[in-house]
Amino acid sequence: MKNTATITWIILLVLTITSALVSKLESKYVVFIILILSAFKFFGIAFQFMEIKKAHVFWKTIIIGFIFLFGIGLLVA
Amino acid sequence: MNKIAIDYKNIWYPPGGILIWIIIFLELFTFGAALIAMTHYGNLEAELFHNSRLILNTTYGMINTLFLLTSGFFMAVSVSELKKGNKVKFKKLLLLTILFGVLFLGLKSFEYSEKLNEGITVGYNTFFTFYWMLTLFHVIHVIVGLVILVSVYFGIKKGKSNTSIEDVEASAAFWHMCDLIWMMLFPVIYLLF
Repeated sequence: MKNTATITWIILLVLTITSALVSKLESKYVVFIILILSAFKFFGIAFQFMEIKKAHVFWKTIIIGFIFLFGIGLLVA
Repeated sequence: MNKIAIDYKNIWYPPGGILIWIIIFLELFTFGAALIAMTHYGNLEAELFHNSRLILNTTYGMINTLFLLTSGFFMAVSVSELKKGNKVKFKKLLLLTILFGVLFLGLKSFEYSEKLNEGITVGYNTFFTFYWMLTLFHVIHVIVGLVILVSVYFGIKKGKSNTSIEDVEASAAFWHMCDLIWMMLFPVIYLLF
């Protein structure tokens, strides 16, 4: 657990700094990239730190479904 | 401490218990709906939202994200240590979890005081109405989370503790929920517009 959590933590830190740097870029894809990076961070916390990876498939599906709906909501809002 | 064998593959027993997960999803949907509404208004007043977003200090937001992620990391490792029966290490890691939560609150307070000194309050414009409402609502969750973690710390510290591993996991799930909510707030409020 400790090694997996450490690797997850480092990846989450790198993704956070990357998101902040990407937001400074002038590109039409910036919004999409930031949302994708944020979704990865969300999954990292839910699946590794909260151990949803060990849970019933229902909980995994509902987490992925929520982020999918949230992302769609932001893009069409 | 009471130890209970939990089968996480059972649909009724996700890590932390089903009740905390019902709360987590209610919170995620509430914040999610508010952020979608904010994006909607952001599209209606694109220039105002862009200029307002530039007033925010992205570095503060990023450092606060790093604080919460580090706190979440210590929380996850501390629960793992408790499951191995290592109460001493659990308590040390839980204190680190609490410390990074407090650092988050400290930097947020500093950010709030800067905004208030500049006269940017909840009624300043639509962007800042969302900013204040959403981040303050999140701060309340962080404060409640810290109170829960402190009570878990003293619960486990007692010689004859009746705190079960499920209680600790539920508390940890609540704390991680604060991370999840911030992972939604940070990109939308600090980066997107």
